[in-house]
Amino acid sequence: MTARGTASRFLSSVLQNGVGRYVCQLKRVSIIFSKNAQSSLGVREFIEEGVVDYAKKNPATVVYVSPQSCRIPKIVAEYLNGNVREELVTSKTSPQISELLTKLTNQSGLDIIRIRKPFHTDNPSIQGQWHPFTNRAPSIGPIRPQNQDAE
Amino acid sequence: MVFLTLSCWIRSRGPDRYWKVQDVLKHARHFRGRKNRCYSLAVRAVRRAFVYATTGRRLKKRNMRTLWITRIAAASREHGMKYPALMHNLTKTSVQLNRRVICDLAVTEPRSFLSLAKLARARQQEGFRAALGDGKEPAGVFSRVVLLQ
Repeated sequence: MTARGTASRFLSSVLQNGVGRYVCQLKRVSIIFSKNAQSSLGVREFIEEGVVDYAKKNPATVVYVSPQSCRIPKIVAEYLNGNVREELVTSKTSPQISELLTKLTNQSGLDIIRIRKPFHTDNPSIQGQWHPFTNRAPSIGPIRPQNQDAE
Repeated sequence: MVFLTLSCWIRSRGPDRYWKVQDVLKHARHFRGRKNRCYSLAVRAVRRAFVYATTGRRLKKRNMRTLWITRIAAASREHGMKYPALMHNLTKTSVQLNRRVICDLAVTEPRSFLSLAKLARARQQEGFRAALGDGKEPAGVFSRVVLLQ
């Protein structure tokens, strides 16, 4: 909960994504659910209606649908930089799950920790950063204390 | 067997002391000395750390603002103006830049800051002329405030 005790990072994109072509950072989505449990009802509805459309809209992402006997249905998202994100979808409705999937698609895989500054530039200064001689020619001479006249 | 009292004297404690202790120690891992290992010392140190973090959040805003003001004052003195004069005349010309932005301009865009200082100087001179000259001279360019609806 302290700034030094918790991880933090600067705002950045993965390999300047979006400057040229935009590459979807979501590599793989695995939907783990149960065929008969009540908690996976929303997931099963989503798989009936929405999964195929989602997979067609995001051709860069591989969607795995794995029915297992499990108590809690999960969506495991893997990103191109290797981060894995697990979301529990117990007792969620189908539109909620599609919202969750769009959120995961739009994320880059960077860690969700405190971002130090909400901006980032590679070129912060256009007119040249200030240095002690920007507004003062060096021919003027160094700054001296003002008591020299009295001495 | 009818000796049941002995088994009643056995207490079973809570099952998750380890995890409760680790929850506190994980916030103390980067401390110095035994505070990062021993629970009793760590509890007190972690509580103080959180208190400092809370007050620090309020102090950070104040400190950042004084830093910006110091930098703007130094930059404006390079151009022969003082900080109160600069800010007052900028608000009078309806330049609604906050101190953070003006400080960044002074650091990374020195020529833009120079133009801001000149604008404030011009407005200041107009103010002096309006106060001292009194009436006959036309109002200055920068004193005309444009109200955009």
